[in-house]
Amino acid sequence: MGIDIPRFIRSLREEKLNDAYEKIREKNCFPSICGRICSAPCEAACILNEEGAPPIGIRALERYAADFGKSKITRRNQPFLGGKKIAVVGSGPAGLTAASELAQRGYQVTVFESFDKPGGILRYGIPEFRIPKRVLDNEINEIRALGVKIEVNFLIGHTVTLDELIHQDFAAVLLATGAGIPKFMDIPGVSLGGVYYGEEFLMRVNRAKGPLFLRRLDKLPVGKRIAVIGSGNTALDCARTGVRLGREVTLIFRRTEEDMRVKREERIYAHEEGIRFEPMVKPVEILADPSRFVGGLKCVRMDFADADGSGEWKLVQVSDSEFILDADTVVIAVGHNPNSLVGKNVSHLKVNQDGTFKVDEKSGQTTVPKVFAAGNVRTNASSLIDALASGKKVAEEMDAHLK
Amino acid sequence: MSFKIINKQILAEGVKRIDIVAPNIARKVLPGQFVSVCPEEDDEHIPLAVTSSDPQKGYISLIFPELGQTTRKLGALHINESIFSILGPLGRPARIEKKGVVVCIATGIGIAQILPICRAFKNNGSKVIGIIGAKTKKALMLEPQMRLACHKIIIATDDGSFEQRGLATEIFEKFLGQNKVDLVYAIGAVDMMRRVCSLTAQKRIETLVRVNPVMVDCMGMCGSCRVKIDGEMVLACVKGPEFDGHKVDFDDLDIRMNAYEESEEWRNRQSTYKPKRDESKILAKFLSGFQRK
Repeated sequence: MGIDIPRFIRSLREEKLNDAYEKIREKNCFPSICGRICSAPCEAACILNEEGAPPIGIRALERYAADFGKSKITRRNQPFLGGKKIAVVGSGPAGLTAASELAQRGYQVTVFESFDKPGGILRYGIPEFRIPKRVLDNEINEIRALGVKIEVNFLIGHTVTLDELIHQDFAAVLLATGAGIPKFMDIPGVSLGGVYYGEEFLMRVNRAKGPLFLRRLDKLPVGKRIAVIGSGNTALDCARTGVRLGREVTLIFRRTEEDMRVKREERIYAHEEGIRFEPMVKPVEILADPSRFVGGLKCVRMDFADADGSGEWKLVQVSDSEFILDADTVVIAVGHNPNSLVGKNVSHLKVNQDGTFKVDEKSGQTTVPKVFAAGNVRTNASSLIDALASGKKVAEEMDAHLK
Repeated sequence: MSFKIINKQILAEGVKRIDIVAPNIARKVLPGQFVSVCPEEDDEHIPLAVTSSDPQKGYISLIFPELGQTTRKLGALHINESIFSILGPLGRPARIEKKGVVVCIATGIGIAQILPICRAFKNNGSKVIGIIGAKTKKALMLEPQMRLACHKIIIATDDGSFEQRGLATEIFEKFLGQNKVDLVYAIGAVDMMRRVCSLTAQKRIETLVRVNPVMVDCMGMCGSCRVKIDGEMVLACVKGPEFDGHKVDFDDLDIRMNAYEESEEWRNRQSTYKPKRDESKILAKFLSGFQRK
């Protein structure tokens, strides 16, 4: 991202909170969100690691600076309206980062969002206890103050097609539709009642009123014992949301606990909240009860073994280790694919095998001229910081293209 | 953008029609598509089929039964009040091709969904036979509109309070025995669609059905509207909601349709979650941050 971290820390040490905030805000438009949920590659790269000491908690410092620092940056940069018009499809982290970058360079940016409020995955995919909605609203208002126009209830491809958007007077279109399509799991019983995909589960909870300490959800039957399948951030969010709904939660995943793709702190929180971890377990079948709801989950244990004698240790099933996990709701959160549905009816917009758009790496353009891509539909990475970096990068590419 | 209600009408027992100003949607909507409606902020979004639209005046009509919480809220809104959010048009439009004789069967709320399809087939030059069914005369809706949209209409009520007594499928079976049919379009309960498809499968008549599973975001992101078509899981909101009737796995669809019927036992469960640390202390610590300069 190119944040000047040494200077940021120096300002904090000198108790110049506003300077520190400005330092971080000029490079990253979501400081208080990054301070909460970022996977913090900066801490992994901290030079203190080499000396055996724990790294500096840059994430926590960022959160502190962003929550309490007041910036003059938005007031100083009065919105300049007169540049070329740019349409951004999707108001997730990548889209909004690119929008704010482009707005700072003087373009007129319009963001199209299909939901009723902007924020994308930050609003609908991440629960309230990780990003309070108030914090997110503040961040989006900062971006709006830069002169970015956000149109909600606008699904590109249906309300207006991509072709129409290109033929209007937009000089360029940025596709940042993110990763929203859940990966389907192919085990018997996935269509039973009480089986949810992680996205659906989180979306139901996040869209409901009174999000945090809500005990009851309409039209979301959740039983007493939830089994969450998956080891990523989405799975952990589902599990922790389930605990907050007052349920017993078991987290099932195939790898070991140290291999989970989440931060160590998150794992400790999950343990503290009473989530039961079942590492190295593979679900085989979801069993039905007489009323065709979930009655249990049949699993097998996995273990590392040198099965074919090639010297490579792989996860294989342990024989005769089948057991039935007592659960009446199953949440499947085994990852998601890029959401490239916007190009469904546009034949000359090429989509790769894995669902990302085909992008020319030099110019950042897709196979349609004037149409760019950023975020998950381009990189197929999953972390927030990758999306922000991709948004910044594409903003530079678009700027270079339009000049 | 505000979505103002400009007209409201009670069509049958517990069924209402509202006309909403939504020029962007009215411009694009085609027969068979639906919109996702959210009456209040931070509420559930529900899919509703668009029954008719006027691109010039810029409004769409929605017909819905007041069954759940959200539809009841929607029905309680008055003329001149605004709906928080409408997203659309979603789904694929119906495949309207010129055929000889098209039979459109609908029961209950399915009548509201089949009306634009009947109109489109009639405009296209096909001969449209409508078979509509309801429990009683009171529950039957849109009968005059259907009469105009079809060349011939057969009405069935379960208790015989209006026109013919019997189920719509029985009348369809009788009709199928006497006439030549090129295409059948069925919308309604799962059992009705399953019966229609088994009847037409014997005679190898092309059959289209519209499925109405529960949807959350209606854009292919949640996976709650998954249905099994030809042994493969597809999302009804993106690939549908219209499918080839002979390929739909109706047993699976039946499970999915009932998957959200909440049992009383699960409701209002008390939370066992107790924060381990003293929350009041944390709050005091947090608030002390504001007192700094």
